[in-house]
Amino acid sequence: MAFIEKAPGESIATDRRVLGIAALVILWLITVPFTTTDSLTGLILTGLVFIMLGVSWNLLAGYAGQISLGHATFFGMGAFVTAWLSTPTGAGFPESIQLPLIPAMLIGALAAALIALVIGPVIFRLSGHYFAIGTLALAAVIELIMLDQRELTGGATGYYIQADLSIGEMVSHGDVMFYLTVIATVATVVITYLIVRGPTGLGMKAIHDDEDAASSLGVNPLKYKMYAFVVSSFFAGLAGALYGHYTLYINPQSTLAVTWTIDSLVVVILGGMGTFAGPIFGAGLFLLLDNGLSAIVAGYSEAVEGILIILFIIFLPTGLYGLIKEYIVGETTESDSAHD
Amino acid sequence: MVISDLATQTILNGLLLGGIYALAALGLSLVFGIMDIVNLAHGHMLMVGAYIAILLFAATGITPLVGMLLAMVLMFGLGMLLQKVLLRHVVDEGLEQPIIVLFGLALILQNVGRVLLGGDARTADIGIPGSGIDLGVAFLSFPRTVTFVVAVLLIGGTWAFLQYTKTGQAIRATAQNRTAAKYMGINTDQIYVITLGIGTALAGAAGALLSMLFPIDPYVGWSYLLKTFAVVVLGGVGSVLGTLVGGLVLGVSENLGALYLGGGYRNVVSLLIFLAVLLIKPEGLFGGSGGGE
Repeated sequence: MAFIEKAPGESIATDRRVLGIAALVILWLITVPFTTTDSLTGLILTGLVFIMLGVSWNLLAGYAGQISLGHATFFGMGAFVTAWLSTPTGAGFPESIQLPLIPAMLIGALAAALIALVIGPVIFRLSGHYFAIGTLALAAVIELIMLDQRELTGGATGYYIQADLSIGEMVSHGDVMFYLTVIATVATVVITYLIVRGPTGLGMKAIHDDEDAASSLGVNPLKYKMYAFVVSSFFAGLAGALYGHYTLYINPQSTLAVTWTIDSLVVVILGGMGTFAGPIFGAGLFLLLDNGLSAIVAGYSEAVEGILIILFIIFLPTGLYGLIKEYIVGETTESDSAHD
Repeated sequence: MVISDLATQTILNGLLLGGIYALAALGLSLVFGIMDIVNLAHGHMLMVGAYIAILLFAATGITPLVGMLLAMVLMFGLGMLLQKVLLRHVVDEGLEQPIIVLFGLALILQNVGRVLLGGDARTADIGIPGSGIDLGVAFLSFPRTVTFVVAVLLIGGTWAFLQYTKTGQAIRATAQNRTAAKYMGINTDQIYVITLGIGTALAGAAGALLSMLFPIDPYVGWSYLLKTFAVVVLGGVGSVLGTLVGGLVLGVSENLGALYLGGGYRNVVSLLIFLAVLLIKPEGLFGGSGGGE
């Protein structure tokens, strides 16, 4: 399978080294709920949610080249559909449809994917700027409609979720949600990796680089755009379901708000758009900057995000990933020449 | 008869509001037509213009109509600066980079607005005496009438500028074919700077006019961005007349939607019209190309 092999210069190091680091990171994540405070666990959970958002948005925007400004819709709809199933009485649904949390979350994520599947063929009639603005408008419409449907969403008051996954005294609800988020993040990263390294990923890159040329060579642009859109929406919906059931409260004005689109975008730009590891680095950097800088310049977090993405996209378009890669590649070539 | 009177009044109010929408959209349309970028910060620039007028009025009581002129001058400068400092790095660099830079700018303007001015909505008053026009079946309120007339005059002025001045002709030439314009000795970099200045100034003017009619808060940017882009799509990029008609259509349909479906659906109606036109006839109802056609 020649095309599953990585393209030259794409990856930072050998897969074995990356796998080793990944294993260490996962081991560390497992210890987090027992070694840190609840608020720090929550912070790391938020970081994992950012990774899921970033990786999923990057699949659509960075690989398939479709700049969607409606990512928050799928995050929020995943959260709401899951909440309807885990706490049906809050929306006036009969108690009989209540599901355990894990199947509820999977259905929530599938619902987000289904929305993408339905609107995809329509919204992909738009391209470029029109697609970006069209998705922004669609997200605004869905937010307004959900806000108006008070009996389903709680309107401006919001929706309280009743879920308690705590196991005995030792493991709190938040800890269980943390582990579920770790599993979901690993699944998101691995599945997305398999997609972008496989033939589908090549198809996406082809339509990103030159849609007309790819199309004339028999690559069906709509097929690959839809693939990216549906998968991306599924993981965004899963991220929303997890985050909503960690905070146990969702609200159409915050859960469906453009903020989640902004965060996805910032994570990807900081890390490096269209690079696989970019969003993972980006989520870490974003979390550090967001918390570090908000202590210094309180109240200006959005402006800081705005300045960061402007500076990165102009001066460091390959992001943190590009910087690290350059550093490591530079280091190996130096040591190689030293051996000569 | 009551309902029909109400409908007439709603349609007239929609037309008057539509004039301001058209003015705001003209700025967006110019920048899109000439530089091939959608200014995602256009709604936020409108918000800044509105705040300039509101703050001037609150501090001195000077009518926002004068505030509008001040907003236009300041925003013209801001737009030129923006192009010179930031956008020149990314214009003609493909699709993603300008979108993201302008998205970031929108975030900055919104955040700075919120911190400096607070999240509460503020409004200005027209501040000059005058009375509305009673048409019998409906009443044209004084502020709505004045803002409409000013908006249409500014649209006419922009059209005349594009049509008859040397700079305006250079802008249209750049829109039609940038490379050819360059060969003819037009400094297209300078044209971009002027275009973004004009686009931003028109956003500021529309914001100042709106501040006399509606409360403005730092978060109105996205909503006005979508409305103005809807007008651009309705009217076709680069068509001044189309933009005017598009603005009127949007103003009327939005007001009728609010009347019959309830105030909460005001924005839903305009967004759905926008999406429908975008999908059915993306070149616009009065599609044209090139600036000032």
